[in-house]
Amino acid sequence: MWTINRFPAIWLIPALLPVVLMTLYPVGYALWTSLHEVMILFPGEPFVGLENYRRVVASNYFQDALRNSLVFTALAAPSVVVIGTLIALFLQHGFFGSQVVRSVVLLPWVLPGAISAVLWVWVFHPSFGMLNGVLRSLGLIDAPIHWLTNPDTALTVVAIAHVWTQIPFAVVLMMAALSTINSETLEAASIDCPNPFKRFRYVIVPEIKSMIVVLLVYNALTAFTSYDLVYAMTGGGPGTATTLLSFQIWRESFSMYDFGAGSAVAFIVVVISAVLIVAITRALPSDLFASE
Amino acid sequence: MQLRKLLAVAALISGAAVVHPASSQDLTLEFVVWNYSLETVQDNVKQFEAANPGIKVNVTDYAWPDYQDSLILRIRGNTPTDIVYGGQDWLPAWGAAGFIAPLDSVAPDGAVAELSGDIAGFALTDVTYDGKVYGLPYYSDTISFIYNKKILEDAGIAVPTTWEEVTAAAEQLKAGGMDRPIIYEYNQELPNFYDAFVAQAYGRGAELFDADLNPLFADPENGAFKQLEWIADAYAKELVQSDNHESTIITAMNTGNHAFTIVYTYVLAALNDAATQPLAGQFALAPMPGDTHATLGFAKSYVVTAAAAADPARAEAAWKFVDFMAGKPYAVAKRWAVEKGLGFGQLPLFEDQEVIEAWGKWADVNALGEQASIAKAGTYTEFSSVWSAYFRPLLAQAMVGDASVDQVMKDGAQRWTELKEQFANR
Repeated sequence: MWTINRFPAIWLIPALLPVVLMTLYPVGYALWTSLHEVMILFPGEPFVGLENYRRVVASNYFQDALRNSLVFTALAAPSVVVIGTLIALFLQHGFFGSQVVRSVVLLPWVLPGAISAVLWVWVFHPSFGMLNGVLRSLGLIDAPIHWLTNPDTALTVVAIAHVWTQIPFAVVLMMAALSTINSETLEAASIDCPNPFKRFRYVIVPEIKSMIVVLLVYNALTAFTSYDLVYAMTGGGPGTATTLLSFQIWRESFSMYDFGAGSAVAFIVVVISAVLIVAITRALPSDLFASE
Repeated sequence: MQLRKLLAVAALISGAAVVHPASSQDLTLEFVVWNYSLETVQDNVKQFEAANPGIKVNVTDYAWPDYQDSLILRIRGNTPTDIVYGGQDWLPAWGAAGFIAPLDSVAPDGAVAELSGDIAGFALTDVTYDGKVYGLPYYSDTISFIYNKKILEDAGIAVPTTWEEVTAAAEQLKAGGMDRPIIYEYNQELPNFYDAFVAQAYGRGAELFDADLNPLFADPENGAFKQLEWIADAYAKELVQSDNHESTIITAMNTGNHAFTIVYTYVLAALNDAATQPLAGQFALAPMPGDTHATLGFAKSYVVTAAAAADPARAEAAWKFVDFMAGKPYAVAKRWAVEKGLGFGQLPLFEDQEVIEAWGKWADVNALGEQASIAKAGTYTEFSSVWSAYFRPLLAQAMVGDASVDQVMKDGAQRWTELKEQFANR
């Protein structure tokens, strides 16, 4: 006799339906778009096979964007994890005003990316930026440094702003990980090993290794697909100095109205992101992704 | 009894409908703008609604940098849209894509031709595609070379008339302690960035394209090529400070740390606004340096969508709206000019005493008129906005020395030719 219990897969439909509608369909449509010449201002959408992929990979814009994205990720992801861990370790110790400091550390988290970008543009502005003002008053520079419009400094400046926005999340997760370490273990370690660096290396790190991997993967992906800060701070410039792949997706799609090329770049980003995740988890083995 | 009550209610409802017949005829136009001076836009809309009972106007605004892509997605998504702000660089593509309609298709016979006779030449070119007028000017302006009179007078420097003289003046000022005498609106994501470059090239008398729309600017003898070399040289000599928006250029120029800039002319009104700027009154425009002193003139316009034109009632209402905003007696264009310093395409306003008086507070009206008289329209095609988005980052690279002028110009010319062929084949 037919009963719904004999076909348990049916129970998965409510969960699978949103996934199909919200993820698989858009991804499938994007794949279709990447194989067609879809220029929103031109009529027709002819099939072009892999031509969009060939064209975007061959373009200087893509090559610059790929290089910038990799450099940006390499600068930002480890910095967020290291600084986030240091702040979390610091905040673990109770001190006068520590609650206030914890709240302040979380502030960048509540600011939208565009607001953060405006703040940082004002910090680095050559005429009335705070940083040049401080450097001048300390006698370290005679003339203002053009941080955001110099191709040699712009990417680093945007990376600094990005790291600032991502640190709070890292701090919260790392504090959670630190709080799970057995206090007796820490107490014993402080008796047996007076060197705090060795204690950190051999007692704390093994306990928080999974969280480090999570944070690295998360921040690598966040940095690799960062968009709003770049758009608001530099518009990808000067030239292509701060153009990241995510920005190039937008530029191809919404600035040059070539949705086929934009989708092709998006798919390349997906593939590279997957490679990044695998590379990080292999380089830093932890129990996190163990099957048992 | 029940039946009587029912009949009474039915009579009341039908009576109410008779008392308020307008509610069944009300029509709401969807008007899409970029977010410049929204309070004035809304007030103009209110005045239109008061003058045209039965027509309501709903205003939607998008940020200027995202305006075109937001609007295209809106129209492609079939979101009701009747009248939009149009830009000269976008108009041909919108026309070719069938997003917008010629004004003749919504206006009474002869009305557009009559108004066109009052529009400045470059502005009329900018609102025309394929021989048909698609818009009436919302505002029309030029790009100006602006300098600080006091700084030049104090340094004993004559107002430069060529780009070489600009370099010499900037070097003299730098030697006197001014770190970056030139401040440049450097935002490669904005169409202004390309417009400002074209205006400078026009000052040299350059043509960027021939009559068949073949690119000329990759020739080292072309004025555009020379101008990009000039900008790159000025950057290399550390004479130029970049700033990504006119609003911060206004602030920076008012620090007294910069002597020259190249911006939309209406920025001069803000620079010389005594109520907000400490150095107001020190700024003036000079003819664009170069052999011909020509500059780029352009028009932003009120444009009716094809969807509105296809519905007779909406088409009629849309024309009434466009005519109110940009037609005779040019009250709205005059308001923008007097209150905000925006330029206009309607020539009779140049003789309006109120406009002359208002503009005289921040500019030499004769100099403005002379500049407008030699301003030239840009070259705009169905694919020029796509190409401009490709070319602007290249320009930016060459300016800061991240790529050679020769390579950038060749790359830009090649992409133009590719797009031209691509569009011709579609």
